[in-house]
Amino acid sequence: MEKRYDIVEIKENVLADNDRVAGKIREELRRSNTCFINLMASPGAGKTSLLIKTIEALKDKYTIGVMEADADGDVDAKTISALGVRTLQIHTGGLCHMDADMTFRGLKELGFEDLDLIFLENVGNLVCPAEFDVGAALQVMILSVPEGDDKPLKYPLMFKVSDCMIVNKIDAEAVFDFDYEACVERARALNPEIRPFRLSALKGENVDEWIRYLDGFIREWRK
Amino acid sequence: MKVIELKKSVTDSNDRDAALLRRELDEKGMLLINLMSAAGSGKTTFLSRTITDLKDLRIAVIEADIESVVDAERIAKLGARSIQAHTDGMCHMDAGMTREAVESIGTDETDVLFLENIGNLICPAEYDTGAQRNVMILSVPEGDDKPLKYPLMFENSNVLIITKTDTMSYFDFDMDKCIERVRRLNPFIEIFPVSAKTGEGMDEWEKWLIREVQETKNRRKR
Repeated sequence: MEKRYDIVEIKENVLADNDRVAGKIREELRRSNTCFINLMASPGAGKTSLLIKTIEALKDKYTIGVMEADADGDVDAKTISALGVRTLQIHTGGLCHMDADMTFRGLKELGFEDLDLIFLENVGNLVCPAEFDVGAALQVMILSVPEGDDKPLKYPLMFKVSDCMIVNKIDAEAVFDFDYEACVERARALNPEIRPFRLSALKGENVDEWIRYLDGFIREWRK
Repeated sequence: MKVIELKKSVTDSNDRDAALLRRELDEKGMLLINLMSAAGSGKTTFLSRTITDLKDLRIAVIEADIESVVDAERIAKLGARSIQAHTDGMCHMDAGMTREAVESIGTDETDVLFLENIGNLICPAEYDTGAQRNVMILSVPEGDDKPLKYPLMFENSNVLIITKTDTMSYFDFDMDKCIERVRRLNPFIEIFPVSAKTGEGMDEWEKWLIREVQETKNRRKR
């Protein structure tokens, strides 16, 4: 039978456009030697808490900027800007992720040329942000203990596209039935290169290990 | 220049499909509940507890996930009918996908069918699935500021279940403040703080559920 209709692969086109803009972001940031980190997690996993500890540890060493992406509200931006780093609140207007275009607009609004290090705190969502390359040099995801060790099985893409997996809220391991080894094994089955960290951002436990790694990565990248 | 509002036409046609599905469910006298929350809030544990507590209620479950069958297996072990719906990367269920899943599991011998939506506090709130009731879960470890950041989910839900209340002492969660923030967005929402683990507070939610099942059956009789 003759095909009487055309098929438009909208999703493929959207992603191809996105990848082009993400490439452009990488070029620009390379030029200004600004290391850009995309931080992703479900709502309430502890993105802001980890960011606070990280900024406190690195702010004397690097000039830092932060973009807080949220569907709504500005609670996080208030917290972060209180640390004395340049902060921009981005409202996605209900959108569930940041794409490269929105990120580029954010970077220009924030001003990136004079910054050494920029964090994007992505929208709290373990699904959609994984699909959109925002031009970051390092992709970091957080999984918190109360969410459960089965999350790599259910949200595989996030684990596949991340360079680091931070297991947060380990101080609550006693109350939750969380098997760290099993979780890491599941994540590695999806992404053998993923680098796991096990910490409590709130209590500060093991945070120094993460900071050491990140500092090393930034130095290497900026060489 | 011509402008097409893609998002609006998508949600319009979804709303039409959802209204049609809801009417059909009402005619059958079966209650469909759309259960939403972030990943790892405890949707499956909460459902498991409800199924175990309410043996006289004929409960069936649609488990929507991007991948995997872990949840459908957990529910099936309890003896409830369940199917796994794979969205293949999609971050929410819409009315068309819900209809497909409802038709596939069937509505016979069922008092209440739960749709366990994708673990996501944003996108599922935008899509009417055709369910008669929307129930959302917020767990204590996620924090009491979530209504400020994800308002649409709280606005579009009939019931809020606050789970993992047994971990209140480990987290800095202000129950009163959380409830106040939620009520500001949605004054009519019913709120049930529970621990699916210890069973605390489950009876209030279960009373609500039994009443809703009965009202759905009464609607058919009228």
